[in-house]
Amino acid sequence: MKLTKLLLATAFAATSLAPLAHSADLRMSWWGGDSRHKATQAALKACGEKHGHTIAPEYTGWDGHLEKVTTQIAGGTEADIMQINWPWLPLFSIKGDGFADLSQFKDVIDLSQWTKEELAAGSMNGKLNGLPVSTTGRVFMFNKTALDKAGVAIPKTWDELFAAAKTLKEKVGPGAYPMNAVKETAVLLISLNATQATGKDLVDQKTGKVAWTEEELTSAIDFYGKMVSEGVVISQKDNAAEGNLNLFESPKWVDGRISGSYEWDSTYSKYADPLKGQVLEPVALLKNADAKTEGVYRKPSMVFSISKRSKNPKAAAEIVNCLLNEPEGIKALGTSRGLPASKVAAKTLLDAGVIEPELAAANAIILAGTGPTVSPLNEHPEVRAVFIDTLEQYAYGQMTSAEAAEEIIDGVNDVLKKF
Amino acid sequence: MSGDNRFLGLFYLSPYIIGLLVFTALPFAASFYLSFTDYNLMSSPVFTGLDNYWKLFTGDRTFRKSLWVTLVYVFTTVPLKLAFALFIAVILNYKLKFINFFRTAFYVPSILGGSIAIAVMWRYLFADVGIVNMGLATLGFEPVNWFGDPTNALFTITLLRLWQFGSAMVIFLAALQSIDKSLYEAASIDGAGKFSTFWHITMPLITPVIFFNLIMQMVQAFQEFNGPYIITQGGPLKSTYLLPLYIYEEAFRRFDMGYASAIAWVLFVIIMVLTLIAFWSSRHWVYYAGDKRS
Repeated sequence: MKLTKLLLATAFAATSLAPLAHSADLRMSWWGGDSRHKATQAALKACGEKHGHTIAPEYTGWDGHLEKVTTQIAGGTEADIMQINWPWLPLFSIKGDGFADLSQFKDVIDLSQWTKEELAAGSMNGKLNGLPVSTTGRVFMFNKTALDKAGVAIPKTWDELFAAAKTLKEKVGPGAYPMNAVKETAVLLISLNATQATGKDLVDQKTGKVAWTEEELTSAIDFYGKMVSEGVVISQKDNAAEGNLNLFESPKWVDGRISGSYEWDSTYSKYADPLKGQVLEPVALLKNADAKTEGVYRKPSMVFSISKRSKNPKAAAEIVNCLLNEPEGIKALGTSRGLPASKVAAKTLLDAGVIEPELAAANAIILAGTGPTVSPLNEHPEVRAVFIDTLEQYAYGQMTSAEAAEEIIDGVNDVLKKF
Repeated sequence: MSGDNRFLGLFYLSPYIIGLLVFTALPFAASFYLSFTDYNLMSSPVFTGLDNYWKLFTGDRTFRKSLWVTLVYVFTTVPLKLAFALFIAVILNYKLKFINFFRTAFYVPSILGGSIAIAVMWRYLFADVGIVNMGLATLGFEPVNWFGDPTNALFTITLLRLWQFGSAMVIFLAALQSIDKSLYEAASIDGAGKFSTFWHITMPLITPVIFFNLIMQMVQAFQEFNGPYIITQGGPLKSTYLLPLYIYEEAFRRFDMGYASAIAWVLFVIIMVLTLIAFWSSRHWVYYAGDKRS
């Protein structure tokens, strides 16, 4: 009898200790705005309770997050679960060994919710380093209200955009522009023009060099120059006079003097919210009849990765799966990171009717667009810096378009050599 | 001092000593070593000898530009700031009504000056439709492109630094108040005018403080980061790209810690040399009462 009691007591004790032994203390880091911070904390709470883990949140704004993650990884103090920008994968894990290989946790994470292409995009050197959270891309957005007031139809081609600029100048004034293009957006508009003309992405993934010739890039830079000289976009000098404000903070955007831009679809709300009462419409990629491709700049917006040093990688994998594939995580996260890439998450949110129609429309444009595969090296900090710095010199008349094209190609090739 | 007391003293000092070793001495030595390596944070540093320094002095146009901008910034800001701080200190040394209010009011920008919020405010003040251009418009002037024009941008950043003259001013004020009043009375009896009194009595007696402020302000100016980082991001055309910005971008944007360390060490040597020159020159213009050389 005593033995039976002892066995029963041991069994009870083991049962009660089981969740305790399994429970893990985890950390998760991400960048974002307030709405994302709140949604993610709620999701971590829900998933933590479901799986019996506690997850300490570590969040910041976009600025400085790369620096923070880099320093943490270098010091071996990174969080167990990390939100990693897709173009950062080659920075941290060129050989695929910078993060945990998530395919090892396929019994915990339902990988069937992603397409093969999506999983390939999250892989480095054949190792699944991150799970795509959403697919994003650059899409044109026009302030329909402002254009309507001036009697201008939303442009569908580049020629129509130039015509719109002319009409806006006549009807609204010299300070009205139908498009915005400074810094990164200027780079991506030039890239779009070059991709449409050549059918190629900036990086030739076979040769590891710039795919465009100097003549092709010169022509794309000239196209940007024409946009400035014909008043389609504000000049860099005039834009800087405002104090380098973000477009969505600029009075020119808020009051409709700048009535269009080329932005990530997932940032639709960021640009629409300040317009209060005006309608911001996502629009298919502008192109002319001779374009070889639409040139959509489509990529995984970000991935969730697990630290290779995590002491509880399986527990972290459970949380990642909950955030991306289980109703508790999906509902709490909502569209705080754009439209989810996970099939079950997208369906859950669509069925629940929580996806804003404009965001859905913007994402549909991205998903339907055609174009060459975009290399993550497009957004390598050094590649971007070469492009932006050289373009600035061109914009200030310090060099010709041909000289700028040569400098960009040489500079980008120098960076690409390292990969 | 008994042995016990000696250890007690060391114990009391230990937080400072540990902090100095861990947060200053160690990084200082580490950055010197790293400046001779290729180190991207993700893999171990690889010793490359003088490669970083060679590249810095032979092939790096950005470094030359950044160094030039930094020197222009320092040699403009420091004298102007010292002159302005002294000017205000002299005024505030008079027995005026509400003098304490004015002293506080002039000092406040220094407390706020280094903050991000002030840099953001500067951005709005000097924006194309900011209050400065509005003021110019009411006076009938054309608006100025403060941030977009390479010739104006550095000046705008310089003004931000000048505005934070309070700490130098307070030190000047303390020095002015410590001057023996009998010297002024004697000068007055001898018929000296105000300017003559200032030039021949006040100035020589506050030269140690001018020297102190010169060194402190010069070192701080070489390390300026917040203003250009927030307001102009080093642009346009790198016209406000001070060396600390370049160091930061090399380290945390391009992950070239070795190269960033090399730039940091060059900056350190420049500051050190200029400080030594200032110390060497001080024997010719700084007056220390009671000093045998005086």
